[in-house]
Formats: sequence, C-alpha cells, structure tokens
Amino acid sequence: MVASLSTTAIETENLTKIFRKGKKNETIAIQDINLKIAAGQVFGLLGPNGAGKTTLIRVLTGLLKPTSGSAKVLGYDILYEIEKIRPRIALLPQESGVYEYLTARENLIYFGGLYGIPTDVLEERADKLLKQVGLEDRADDITKSFSGGMKRKVLVARALITDPDIIFLDEPTTGIDTIGAKTIRELLKELSANHNRTIILTTHDLHEVSELCREVAILNKGRIVGIGTPDDLEEQFKAKNLEEVFVSLVRGE
Amino acid sequence: MILKPLFWLFKKELKSAYRSKWLMFGFIVGPLIAWGFQGVFLAYMFGQATSGGQTVYYTNDDVGPIGGELINAIEGNATYLGIGELIEINATYGQKLVADGSVGIWIYIPANFTQMLVSYNTTVLKIYVDTASTKATSVAKAIEYFSKNYIDIVIRELKVEEIPVSKEATYGFQLAIFLVMLMSVVAPAPYVSQSFAGERERRTLEALLVVPMSRLKILTGKVLAGLVLTGVYAIFTIVGIELYNGMIYLALGDLGSYASYFTVSESIMPLIAFSQMLVALCALGIGVVISCLAKDQASAESINNLALMIPTMAIGILSFTGSIESIGGIFGFMIAAIPFTHAVLFLNGVLLHTASVYQLLFNIAYLVVSTLVFLVIGAKIFEREGIVS
Repeated sequence: MVASLSTTAIETENLTKIFRKGKKNETIAIQDINLKIAAGQVFGLLGPNGAGKTTLIRVLTGLLKPTSGSAKVLGYDILYEIEKIRPRIALLPQESGVYEYLTARENLIYFGGLYGIPTDVLEERADKLLKQVGLEDRADDITKSFSGGMKRKVLVARALITDPDIIFLDEPTTGIDTIGAKTIRELLKELSANHNRTIILTTHDLHEVSELCREVAILNKGRIVGIGTPDDLEEQFKAKNLEEVFVSLVRGE
Repeated sequence: MILKPLFWLFKKELKSAYRSKWLMFGFIVGPLIAWGFQGVFLAYMFGQATSGGQTVYYTNDDVGPIGGELINAIEGNATYLGIGELIEINATYGQKLVADGSVGIWIYIPANFTQMLVSYNTTVLKIYVDTASTKATSVAKAIEYFSKNYIDIVIRELKVEEIPVSKEATYGFQLAIFLVMLMSVVAPAPYVSQSFAGERERRTLEALLVVPMSRLKILTGKVLAGLVLTGVYAIFTIVGIELYNGMIYLALGDLGSYASYFTVSESIMPLIAFSQMLVALCALGIGVVISCLAKDQASAESINNLALMIPTMAIGILSFTGSIESIGGIFGFMIAAIPFTHAVLFLNGVLLHTASVYQLLFNIAYLVVSTLVFLVIGAKIFEREGIVS
C-alpha cells in the first residue's frame, strides 16, 4: 500500500532521545524534534557529525525508543504499532556492510525473503535493481571481493528490494564514485517522482540535497535549527546557497 | 508464511558459515584433531613399548612363593609385555639406580608379599618407573595390568576379590576427554562471534533489526543454524572416534587383546557425540551472551575463548588428579556449577562404565538447562536497544 501525496508519511511531536550511562552521565541525542514529512518526497536531514541525524532515523525505525515525545510513521505510532510499520520501511544504515559471503544477488534476495516476499518476485526485482545500480555483470560474485563503492550500491539496491513506502538512507552515496553517485541519485529521484516513495536522506553532500530534496531539516546538537525547502531557507537566511545557510546555522549556535 | 523469514535467516547463516572455510574448520576438523591426536599419542606410546623392548630390573625379596611365581609369569610373557631384558638385582642396587635416575623400570617385591596376600588378600607390588620415558611408562602400565590380572587369578582361587578399574583405560581416556572437551567448547566461538558481534561490527545488524521479524525470531534463526553446525560437529566426533580406534588397533598389532581397554565401543559413540553436541551448544549459548555484549568480533572471540577455555582446562587438569566429584567445599561447588563439569562426568561415566543411568541423565539435563539459561540471557541482551548503539 502506497501513501498518497496528500498524506503524511512521518509526523513527530517533541521527539526526544536521551542516552543515560549511570545516574549522572547523560547525553541528549535529539531534543524536541517536530517534523511533518509529506509522503512521496525526498526529505533531507542535514547536520554536522554528532548532530543527531542517525539517532533520529534509529528512533523513527523503531531501533531506539524515544525518551519522550511521540512519532507516527505511515500513521502508526512507533512505540505501539511498530510491527505495522516495519513491513513498509527499509533502512540503509550509515557505514553499513554487506554480507560478504553472499553474492550481490543473494544479499538482495535474502533481505527480501526476511519480509516474506515470494522468491520469484524477489529474483525479478533483484535483477532489475542490480541493473539499475550498474552491477548486473557482478550479480553472482561474492561481495567480499567488491570495492567499497560497489558494496554501497548493493546496499542501496537491497534497501529497495522490498519496494518500501519509506526508505531511510543514511549517507547512501558516501564512498561511491561520481558516476555511481549520480546513478543512485537518479534512481532515488525516479522512485520519488514516479513511484510516490518517501525517502529520508542524510548526507553531507549539499549538492545532493539541492538536487534531490524538496524539503530539508538542519539539525545541530540534537535540535532542528532550520527547516523548509532549500529556496525558503536561502531566502530566510539571506544566503546565496544552501551551504551558506548550513554554515551560518551550525556556526551561529 | 510465519516461518518463511526464519527459514531465510537460517539458510543465510548456514550458507555464510559454509562459504567461510575457517568457520567450518572448527566444526569439522576440531573433533578429528582432538581424537586423532589422542590416537597418535597412544599409538606412539604403544610403538615405543613394542619396538626393541624395555629393560626391566626386578628384586624379589618375597619369602613366600607368589612373588617368584609372578616374576616367572612376567618373564614368560616378556615379549607380550614389551620387555627386552629382565635383570635381577638386589634392593640396595635398585635404590641406587632410583637415586641416580638411571632406571627405566624397577619392580620391587617386598618380603611380606605372599604373607600379606594369604593373610589379608591384599598386597603391595612396587614399580619404580621413569615417567619421562613413554616407553617405560607404557611397559610399566602393561606390567601393572598383567600383575593385577595374575594376582587376581590367585586370589579368586583362594578368596574372591575384584580387580579395580583398569588404570590404563582411565589414563588414556582422561587425556581424550580433556582434548575433546577443549575442542568442543572452542569450536562454536568463530560462528557465534561472526553471527552476533560480527553483525554489529559490520553494521549489518541495524538493517536486520528493522525487518518485520521479532528479535527473538532473529536469535532463533541464528541459534538453529548453530544447532545444525553442532550437529555437524557431533557427526565428525564419531568420525574422529573411528579414526582414534583405527590408530589404536594399528599400533597394538599382535597385542590386539589390549585394544578394548583403550578403544571406544560403537555402542557408546552416539552418546559421546550427543554429549559433545550439547557441550558445543552450551558453548554457543554462552557465546551468544558474550557476543551480544562485546564491541567487535575479535573481542567477542577472545573473551569467548578465555571464558570457555579457563574453566574447561581447570576441570580437565583436576580430572587428571582424581575424581572431580570428590572435591568438596565452595571450590567443589563452583566446579560442580560449571556446565562442562557435567560433560566430563558424563564422558567418564560412559567410557569407564562407572555411572548409573540416573547420573548420566542428570548430567545431560544439567547441560540442557544451562544451555537454555544462557540462551534466555542472550535473548534478553539481544532485546536491549544498546545492541545497536
């Protein structure tokens, strides 16, 4: 089931996650995050290292429980209805690896199998996706021998094998060459525009954000310090481009 | 439908294990090495004992007839016992050889040998042996066994007294138990470290935990794959025992009648394989706990090996010094609490036929319950959100 353009894919209210080690030592990873992300768009999460982007994704995918606040993904509460959310989302974690003793095709089919998708459907999708990311010639090679960029392409394809409604991509093009990154960006654009998929993207590449994202949220020290379309943000902060907005927001704190 | 994702996970774990040659190495080669090494060791000892013959000194101070009869019997079976020369010396010279450390074997029959046997049905035969020499040790064991058999016949003619459990068998099997136990506890470590800590380290775990499967199911899939691998280990344990038996028969040659004291009978092979499968499974359960807490695969494997090998080595060494059941106090309780102690007791019980069915069942039950306890603890740790952060 695909959410329509008019529906909200993700909605959060004062979402906060605090990590506690002992009674006194605590780290606020994200604080009072309020987001409303419409379905069918590419939404960018920007921020310096340690800003809370990965934690936010982990909370939204149910890997971490929020300390306070609430969030709904595809209309379901992340705390109480995660089993209804999981079949419809996919995650490509930051710096994630592949299963090195499986081939590229096996990596994809294995993940699809975990979602209970029939093998014949998976085989067809795997062939198509591997072709789209330019790995059709290496589909049956063990991924142990793949370069970092090739592994990343396998992971992007793996995130798409289940045809999810929402795809969380944590720095998907890191380590991929220029041509490869462009291929992946085109694939994501196509998914969003023609298949109405919602893509939550974290990246340090502001060019990528400008090219792909309809809206962006800039995080710094666990808080949202700016949110809107790239054009709105540039206008709001009287900046020439998104990079200037980003620098002024992060340094201004 | 519910089981299909579990099957995919199970299949992937086995496929990855199969393709990772070093990982399978422990499950297949481990039991072959443990039993093969034991076979080679005993075969070497027999080889030493049967090639060339050992020079044996003896002193017969017995004022009665049985000491002399025993010496005559030993002399008559010298080749069978692996004795080259049998030389009579007096006690003073014998003591000097012992003091010099220049004697392989010196048999001393005391003056009251016959008298003690006739009066009390028990007597003492002293065998001084250079334990640094495998040949001397082996021949001494053979003489000891032969003498006990010989004296037993005499006693049975007079009064009934059973010979105690053969020391050779205990000695031989203790080493096997020690080596086999060590292999069984370390064999699952690479698999469990790769499957849990490895997934964390490579950051494949996050994506896995987002799939629509409960963490308990994910853990179950991985443990089921581990169960199959421990099954492979059990099968190769039987192959290893057959290898061991073959080596013993080959080494003994004409002395084949001794073989039953050293070989493992086919009827108890499945029991040994089953117990070793349980040991490997218990080690897997402990490994799950350690791997879920460790930061990376290398740490998990190192801690796992240490945590498993130290108690196993302690039990193994203690079992060389006597029965581990006889250790009392808090230390005895601690030893008895270690699951692998019960595997050693089980192995001793079935190999030496010294345990009752109830004792064996208790040992098995203790191992099974321990495995389940560790898996439940592992599942609880696996459920924590700290597993991804």
